[in-house]
Amino acid sequence: MSIRNSIAIVASPRPRVGKTLLARVLTDFHLYEGRSVAAFDLNAAGEGTLAQFLPEHVTRSSIDDLEGQMALFDRLIAEDGAIKIIDVGRASFEPFFTLASQFGFAEEARRQEIVPVLLYLMTPDRTSVEAYRNLCGRLPEAVLAPVHNEVFGVAQHGNKYAPIGSGTVIIRFPLLASNVRKYVERPPFSFANSESAAVLDADDYIELQHWLRRIYREFRELDQRILLTDLNSDAARTVTKR
Amino acid sequence: MAKPTVILIGADKGGVGKTTIARTLLDYFGARHVPTRAFDTEWPRGTLKRFNPDVTEIVDVASVSDQMKIFDTVSSVDAKVTVIDVRAGLLSSTLQALRNIGFIELGKTGQITLAMFHILGPSIASLEEIEETAHFVGDANYFLVKNHINETSFFEWNPATCKSYFKRIKGAEEITIPKLNEMTCEQVEVAGVPYVSFVANKNAKGETANYSFVLRGYVRHWLGRVWQEFDRVKLLDLVSPKPEKKIHQIAG
Repeated sequence: MSIRNSIAIVASPRPRVGKTLLARVLTDFHLYEGRSVAAFDLNAAGEGTLAQFLPEHVTRSSIDDLEGQMALFDRLIAEDGAIKIIDVGRASFEPFFTLASQFGFAEEARRQEIVPVLLYLMTPDRTSVEAYRNLCGRLPEAVLAPVHNEVFGVAQHGNKYAPIGSGTVIIRFPLLASNVRKYVERPPFSFANSESAAVLDADDYIELQHWLRRIYREFRELDQRILLTDLNSDAARTVTKR
Repeated sequence: MAKPTVILIGADKGGVGKTTIARTLLDYFGARHVPTRAFDTEWPRGTLKRFNPDVTEIVDVASVSDQMKIFDTVSSVDAKVTVIDVRAGLLSSTLQALRNIGFIELGKTGQITLAMFHILGPSIASLEEIEETAHFVGDANYFLVKNHINETSFFEWNPATCKSYFKRIKGAEEITIPKLNEMTCEQVEVAGVPYVSFVANKNAKGETANYSFVLRGYVRHWLGRVWQEFDRVKLLDLVSPKPEKKIHQIAG
């Protein structure tokens, strides 16, 4: 299994921790790599949503009613060859994971050889730490990838987000310089689209490319880790059978 | 050899979800590898038979030959459990017939395990049924089932009145069946398969189907809660099967 056949859930119970930026970069990473992507925005309508930044690739979703739930979850599980990315807004955090847990979402994904990956934006507060631990129990089949957003400084989490299971890997989300940030925060904006970057001057463009390389490397390392974990699991199963 | 178990599912009132409960029981025992057969008394066309055709036979419970088919074979067939879905309006007469042929006596003397699932509707008439049926079954394992599946506002009875009726059957256990949303119910009806098959995305031929993942998820969650209720009242202890692992993977 690989990130190339995955459902990435970008989440945190806290607002303004970088969920949408991470979901944008991940969407653009796959587009940059030439993959088909379907992204879903579970944020309430407002400024700076995923759907505003990448309107061509993002579906605005709601899970408040059965029709909305079917439109989202059935599409996530559909075998259409597209990588799925969900930006779970703060208000949708608990309802989304409650439904996912009740429906057996992660197990179903695994059955269809799709890797469910939880990209969880870490913050040091108790609410976030407890929600993370709770999700570990509710989605045991998912690959847990706590994300350290460097905008909040370094190494402030201690052991609060201790790795759970062999598939857990911490992703470092590098800090984007403020002079570049002011450009990328004006929707629509695609990191994968060279036209979007045309407004940047040469220094800012280099800065942005440097930042993208760092985060893309993190995604590739996540992919390697998933592959390795999968190979180890296969090897362990083979040994057990013998 | 373990003694056979007969489970009667009934209510004199129609539309309270008797067949739904019968289906959940067949799934419950099936998941635990307890050999089970069922009789659908909605003669000549049964609903239970449509969902669980492999283990269900349609019978006319008023006919002597069909009574023989059910009750004379209880100890001789491989099935450890016999589930009888009693048609609406026939509960009292069926119990009367069972008493007349001495079948209820077999339960009292311990030769068989007799259980009664009395499905209750939202009206006071349902409570009055308890009194009518209670004297037939006596010491049988009596389960009063509050089925929320077809109603949005259910059981708005006065709790004290309700309790006074429930107390009339010594040792009766109360089972609460949660509501399953209408669209999901409808789609399972259309699929015409057991709940576990719907959850597993299988059609009646056992082939992979194309049911909505969300609707399957709702059935999975609902069925899991129903089975939790059966576990809570120790239903499996009635039939004393061998314990099986990984059962809750089927219904979470």
